[in-house]
Amino acid sequence: MIDDIRFALRQLWKSPAFTLLAILTLAVGIGANTAIFTLMHDLFFRGLPFTEPDKIVRIYGEDKTRDLKQFPFSVPKFWQYRDGQTAFTQLATDWGNGYIMTGIGEPVQLLGANVTANYFDVLGIHPVMGRNFLLVEETKDDVALVTTTFVRKRLNSDPNVIGRSVTLNGVPTTIVGVLPELPISWFGRDAEVFVSKPFDPPGLAKDRLMRGVSFMRCIGRFKPGVTMQQAQASMPALDRGYREQYPENADNGLTSVLVPAAQDVTGNLRPAFYTLLAAVGAVLLIACSNVANLLLVRFTGRRREIALRMALGAERRSIVRLFVLESTLISAIAGAAGLCLALWTVSIVPRVAGDNIPFENNIALQWPVLIFTLALSLLTGFAMGLYPAWQSSRADLVDGLKDGGRAVSGSRGQHRFRRGLVMAQVGLSVVLLAGAAMLVSSFVRLSQQETGFRSDHIWVGGIGLPPAQYPDSASRARLVERLTQELQNAPAVQSVAITDAIPLSGNYSASPYARTDRDPVPVKQRPLGLTRSVWPNYFRTLGIPLLAGRDFSERDSVDQPWVVILSKATAKKLFPNEDPIGHQILFGTDNGNGRAAEVIGVVGDVRSQELSKENEVEFYRSWPQRDGPFFNLLVRTALKPEATLGTVRAKLSKIDNTLPILQPNTLEAIVTQSLGQQRLTMALLGAFAGIALLLAVVGIYGAVAYTVEQRTGEIGVRMALGAQANDVLRLVVRQGMHPVLLGLGLGLVGTFAAGRLLVAQLYKVSPHNPLLLAATASVLIIAALLACLIPARRATLVDPIQALRTE
Amino acid sequence: MIRLQNLERSYPLAHGKFFYVLRDINLDIAEGEFVSIMGPSGAGKSTLLHILGMHDHGWTGEYFFNETAVHHLKAKERGALRNEQIGFVFQQYHLLDDLTVYENLEIPLSYRKVSKTERSAMVADTLDRFQIVAKRDLYPRQLSGGQQQLVGVARAIISNPKIILADEPTGNLHSSQGEEIMELFKKLNAGGTTIIQVTHSEKNAGYGNRIIQLRDGWLV
Repeated sequence: MIDDIRFALRQLWKSPAFTLLAILTLAVGIGANTAIFTLMHDLFFRGLPFTEPDKIVRIYGEDKTRDLKQFPFSVPKFWQYRDGQTAFTQLATDWGNGYIMTGIGEPVQLLGANVTANYFDVLGIHPVMGRNFLLVEETKDDVALVTTTFVRKRLNSDPNVIGRSVTLNGVPTTIVGVLPELPISWFGRDAEVFVSKPFDPPGLAKDRLMRGVSFMRCIGRFKPGVTMQQAQASMPALDRGYREQYPENADNGLTSVLVPAAQDVTGNLRPAFYTLLAAVGAVLLIACSNVANLLLVRFTGRRREIALRMALGAERRSIVRLFVLESTLISAIAGAAGLCLALWTVSIVPRVAGDNIPFENNIALQWPVLIFTLALSLLTGFAMGLYPAWQSSRADLVDGLKDGGRAVSGSRGQHRFRRGLVMAQVGLSVVLLAGAAMLVSSFVRLSQQETGFRSDHIWVGGIGLPPAQYPDSASRARLVERLTQELQNAPAVQSVAITDAIPLSGNYSASPYARTDRDPVPVKQRPLGLTRSVWPNYFRTLGIPLLAGRDFSERDSVDQPWVVILSKATAKKLFPNEDPIGHQILFGTDNGNGRAAEVIGVVGDVRSQELSKENEVEFYRSWPQRDGPFFNLLVRTALKPEATLGTVRAKLSKIDNTLPILQPNTLEAIVTQSLGQQRLTMALLGAFAGIALLLAVVGIYGAVAYTVEQRTGEIGVRMALGAQANDVLRLVVRQGMHPVLLGLGLGLVGTFAAGRLLVAQLYKVSPHNPLLLAATASVLIIAALLACLIPARRATLVDPIQALRTE
Repeated sequence: MIRLQNLERSYPLAHGKFFYVLRDINLDIAEGEFVSIMGPSGAGKSTLLHILGMHDHGWTGEYFFNETAVHHLKAKERGALRNEQIGFVFQQYHLLDDLTVYENLEIPLSYRKVSKTERSAMVADTLDRFQIVAKRDLYPRQLSGGQQQLVGVARAIISNPKIILADEPTGNLHSSQGEEIMELFKKLNAGGTTIIQVTHSEKNAGYGNRIIQLRDGWLV
């Protein structure tokens, strides 16, 4: 065996061009597969770093009749379920929050969540220092858990962090524990601080809270022995109990649905990654078929060696073993190279993906990935080498020795095998190219989709208002008023606005609504409409046209009658063939029936939730009448928007120097980031399709070039019999293109099947778009023609005399 | 029909020197002749045949084919002239392995832009003439050497060439098969076809009416 390995290595060393080409080809295939598997492992297979993560579920509410899905929990609902459930060891809840930390250097905005005392116990996360929260701390005491990153970054790795007090949102808070690094997929990027008191969100009065305002993520851990089905079966009784206990609550008509934790964080990414997995599988098959072709040629060319070995007593089995060993060595080396390629790829993918895919910061090489690569390499090498080795070892001993090692074209079976490989390569390439073309086309359409607002020259940043300093709407309105006035007077600032949620940032809220004049149904049966609080000049700043009525003004303050502005689509839906101005709409759950707001205007439609989806309904409310402890500032500037941060910071400091600015950005960047997942899928599939095309072209070229070389004699005879250069060119191209065209046909059929996989990821592009398919076919035909033409041209230069002599 | 004047063929060697395969060849072959080119190995017989067949273009001197100055023709024009006037028979038959007898016969016609219908008629006629109709769908590997060469000759004459060039046509055949082929050549020659063959065999040379001896590239 050692001798065989040594011999195989010597053989590879002797043909550096072949060895390098085979290794590079396979490395690309194995590298692409390893990269995607690493990413999928990180996202789907590794599991969340919790204790027994498969026993943790998220509980959502849904109401298909109102098109409500994945609805969070309200406080009374959580209490009711927590106390009444029997399937879980415990239920826990959290809701994301921002905390302004003052007293340590510059004020800084931190991200984290308010959680129930048992939250980290349910997840099975144990503090590396200190302790988890106590039940009593849900209502009393201001305490916090922080991450190791927080301790390192904010407290200079203070070893006495436990018991240390930090001021969060103006409240002195004691650190009781330090948590390990937390998974981004579950907690989001940059979560550093967790505080208790989850049932007392700022800016939400107790009576509203108890009417079923839904904002909490509810999770549970199964009791030992309880299955998903059993837990799901226990939910209707809890739903009924809540309905009976809180008959007027807005969220009591929902049905509870359990979703495994892992699926909850990455469920929507699966189709895209399965597409990519299929794509890299195809790339690997193409690479394998290319190398198999090379091996067949190489092994066939060693007919004399085979014959000699057999003459000396070798069994066919040992010949096959020798050659398979050679191919396995190639793939093992390629596997190592592919692994390096994969590591490089996964290091850049999170950057391309932006915040849209929750990759961990440092995706490290994992054992399963290493085993996967190793298995893939060995399997590839074995499979790839087996057939060529078997075929070549069927050499006729006498002929082989007589030929004196002269290259022979191989049997008809080998010819068929080679043509089959080319056909398969082309077929797979067509599927990949068509898929990439569809995704690119879809992405272009999405990128060019009118948003309904102008995102250029707009700076955005978040500002949190600590309840301790800004306890009511009046105090918050005063700050906003002063800040916007200061900024309006700043040089280069054209207009300033605020909103509770920036369009396409992924944040939005919805309220139940109903027309007052149409016998409104109870709150719990009302549809939810996307609702955005804005103030002042929001529409002007974003260039959203006012189509009817008036914009918000300073009169629309908290103590004035409620007002609302409708999007055009909303006006059409709620007031078909009517002038909506002056009509009243009920919002929210106040008084158990909502509170009426007068329609004062209609504005143009905006794609604020997703670029690919029109908002059926979108309400704009006056921010002072629907405010909260956090707002986003939008500043339209004549300068580069990035340069606005300094101005905003200076103006804000003038008013309140304890308020930091959270996540400063440009609106254009936010719009671009909203397409992160599509961009990543497109970029990766595009890259894989490009590689596939390149490999297929190399494969076609190799096959045709080899055929030409083997048929030099025949070409010489044809030329001696009168064939002109064009005849030879036509002959070679026709024969080279034959398997290409068959593969193209098969690929187009495959594209129809693959279209089903892609359809959910496409925007305004049919997976059977004839233009795209024609373009794909044309690209492949042109590439294949070029690949055929080079050896065909060489064939026309065959000297018939020389060829006949060789023959 | 053929006139060669001061024809020479050489290959460059190192240091600006040349190796001459043919030297100062002056030769006339009239229409209807049956000429045998003889000489030891390396004398330049096959090279001369390939020059006559217009496969080889790297010679100097003058070559007239029916008063056409071949030495002034471009490669494409030589090709057209060859297709029109010359048929070839090779020692190794050079039938195309993947084509049937029928298809092998059809090949020269396809390169002469003969229509499909006409081709069918001509191939059928040739198969009949050579009494190989039964073999039309067989592949070369299914034929004996003699039968393969028979197809080779049939392929050479199918487009009615004025001249047949044969390079050791019986070199790979049993003597009885060789005789059959030579008889066939004689018959074709009697029908008016000019034949030039390269041969080592005195016996085969005897079928012709003139022998040309070549030695070290010189006509002797």
